[in-house]
Amino acid sequence: MTAMPDAPFAHPLPVLQRGDGACEVRFERDEGGLCRARHVYQKAPCRVLFPTVEPGELPTAVVVTTSGGLTGGDRLRLDFTAAPGAAALITAQAAEKIYRSTGDDARIALTLKVETGAWLEWLPQETILFDGARLRRDTVAEVAAGGRLLAGEFLVLGRTARGERLTRGLLQDRWRVSLGGRLAWIESLRLDEATFDALGHPAGLGGAVALFTLVYAGCDAASRLDQTRALIGTAPDGIRAGATVLGDVMVVRLLGQQAYALRREVARLWAGFRQLAAGLPAALPRLWSL
Amino acid sequence: MAEPAPADPQPESRPAGTLYRLLAWLSPAYPTGGFSYSHGLEYAVEAALVHDRATLVGWVGQMITAGPGWIDAVLCAHAWRAVSANDDQALDDLADLAAAWRGSAETALESVQQGGAFLATTRAAWGDARLDAFVARRGGDAVALPIALGLAAAAHGIALDDAVLGCLQSFSASLVSAAVRLVPLGQTDGQKAIASLATLVAATAVRATERRLDDLGSASPMVDWSCLAHETQYTRLFRS
Repeated sequence: MTAMPDAPFAHPLPVLQRGDGACEVRFERDEGGLCRARHVYQKAPCRVLFPTVEPGELPTAVVVTTSGGLTGGDRLRLDFTAAPGAAALITAQAAEKIYRSTGDDARIALTLKVETGAWLEWLPQETILFDGARLRRDTVAEVAAGGRLLAGEFLVLGRTARGERLTRGLLQDRWRVSLGGRLAWIESLRLDEATFDALGHPAGLGGAVALFTLVYAGCDAASRLDQTRALIGTAPDGIRAGATVLGDVMVVRLLGQQAYALRREVARLWAGFRQLAAGLPAALPRLWSL
Repeated sequence: MAEPAPADPQPESRPAGTLYRLLAWLSPAYPTGGFSYSHGLEYAVEAALVHDRATLVGWVGQMITAGPGWIDAVLCAHAWRAVSANDDQALDDLADLAAAWRGSAETALESVQQGGAFLATTRAAWGDARLDAFVARRGGDAVALPIALGLAAAAHGIALDDAVLGCLQSFSASLVSAAVRLVPLGQTDGQKAIASLATLVAATAVRATERRLDDLGSASPMVDWSCLAHETQYTRLFRS
């Protein structure tokens, strides 16, 4: 199977007691130079769709969690690969909601593999933590020499539109990026019972309720730093942003006092960055429309 | 009001000379260049997030309980254990992990420059076959400061609790020293800040020796942001 119709599935699944979903997509470049998904595996509550994209846009996969979100004990395994020379974009259909847990942790294991000469973009929508949610997410990126990865994660702490703030639960959000087989960058954000006061602490979240981390791994990362800083420019009120380069990994951080305002800034930054780094259209997936 | 430091646990149980070594290694006179780094504090002062003793104590407190100081303390504890167990593979894995677990270009430099200087000085002045063997195995690879400290402490028979307390105390004292110059604060105010952090440092050191790597993380995005902002700060005294 190489592609699936861009149509809504007929029978949405109910929220499962213990979801154990998985999704694998491998994009390859064929003899004619055409890039397409050659390997697709999906296990409920995960689905993957391949929408028709605008001319000039990359082949795109859209991940759907048919349960609408995760609760304690649910697991999600996502494996995305860009084979040598392939170029693809993977996004999500909707925000991932992490519901209040009665005790167990929800776990998301995301693996992003980028092989030689490939380009892979991972731009999911927001992960929204409800108060009392327990989430452990591991993002593991393996980028081969000559491969390039542009990956983002967008966290919203609480259902902020209704004024909810996190007061309990667990968030452990880790990144582990390897380049050419060598560990290049690690980070782990952790909010737990002992550290929830970080939300309002000046050296913690400083009142931010939304965080976005952009990671760009590739041999040209250092040479993109000045352009990226210019793109970030002067952040609007309520948003703090900055960029750095560690070896061949660029890390851009954005902290927002409001989730929606941060989403607009993320969209602007992402569109600009993919254009300057890869000459791609300065546009986001249609699902990301603001 | 400064809080009293907790009583020293069983000082008589320390092997002869181990406290002397630890004090020497963590002294500001030990040539690791720690005085030239502020871990983003210089920008936090610029942005008026730190502007007096109280805000300094709050900022440093978050850094050691749930920020980069906490991460380093736990990594130091695990390095100490790996060396005590003669587990070279575990130590090398930790060294890779610690070198990659850095929030910004400048704080990466801060840690590996000091880690390298610490190892070189300690090998030259104090010597130990395990330090030599580690450096030989690592080749030219960067070594983060908490790994160098945990390794040297275990190799020289310094207790785990002492090593981790030292890791956290020197981290916070170095930040306070930077703040005395940056805010600026009087020397006595700086020492009052250090005194008022004593209980927190001691309690955090105990927690750090118990934390599993799988449950390790920080909750200090504003510190990370300050480190990024420091890279483009116009006038700078410090290298991070």
